[in-house]
Amino acid sequence: MTLAQSLFLVGLTVVIVVILGFSALVLSSARSNDGGGYLSLVLVKRMIRSPRERAEVNRWAFYLHRITGFLVFGFLALHIVDVSLFSFSHSVYNNVHTLYTTPVMRLFECGLVFAVLFHTLNGLRLLVVDLADLSMASATKALGVVAFLTLGFGVAGCCFVLAPVFS
Amino acid sequence: MSTTTRPATAGTQAEAQSAKPQSRRIAYVMMRLTGVLLAVLVTGHLVVTHVVTDVAGTDANFIAKRWGSALWVTWDSLMLAAALAHAGAGVWAALDDYARDPVRRRRLRQGLVAGTIALFLFGAYVIAKAVYS
Repeated sequence: MTLAQSLFLVGLTVVIVVILGFSALVLSSARSNDGGGYLSLVLVKRMIRSPRERAEVNRWAFYLHRITGFLVFGFLALHIVDVSLFSFSHSVYNNVHTLYTTPVMRLFECGLVFAVLFHTLNGLRLLVVDLADLSMASATKALGVVAFLTLGFGVAGCCFVLAPVFS
Repeated sequence: MSTTTRPATAGTQAEAQSAKPQSRRIAYVMMRLTGVLLAVLVTGHLVVTHVVTDVAGTDANFIAKRWGSALWVTWDSLMLAAALAHAGAGVWAALDDYARDPVRRRRLRQGLVAGTIALFLFGAYVIAKAVYS
């Protein structure tokens, strides 16, 4: 492993640690900031059982939106730096870039695909909810569509990203 | 219903003090405009670098070819600016919830703005250098 590759992995580790820390902060201060219950099995069961309680999912979508947004920002910062190597030396860029083709990095890319998809689709949902002035029930239904599309496009995207590992 | 971006009970004191209604409206519109733009640009970027071309194919030759085209230089410049504006504004808003101390919040905001601008200038320099060399 070259020095540039090591530095990239150190950067990636820092980004992942910061993202995990931010996620913990968002989830741990959820209750003190916004009230409501903790995300627990009881809460999940209640949300599934009662249509009226299902609106609570919107709140958890808000936290997931914030966490996935931060995740993509964290990766973007690293990505700007690793692509910038191109303008200093093509061989150093290529050397660092080979890390992206490793199976572990491909798994990370799959996570990134899911994060980008959820953040994008949920963001568009929020726009529609405001513009079309959807009711809470409709907004919650739209969130179901967002989850379905995220899963569908996400799995399809992961097939493309992971395909070279299995060929 | 206007509570979709936040839980209904939210709206902290810090947030209420943080900005004038006019600047909050500008931030709201800017966030959604860049968001819709990014929905197209980032999804397209992922399709090009992971589906149409496998990530193994996005080496220095790929970038050199890509930045030889005005379309992709525009695409990447716009994506860089929109993504950083969107992300910076997003973290700015989130700081209201997690940094309640005004002094600490101001410092974090200064750091955020400086970091975001630095990333933009750095990214813009990299693209400009590739275009004009």
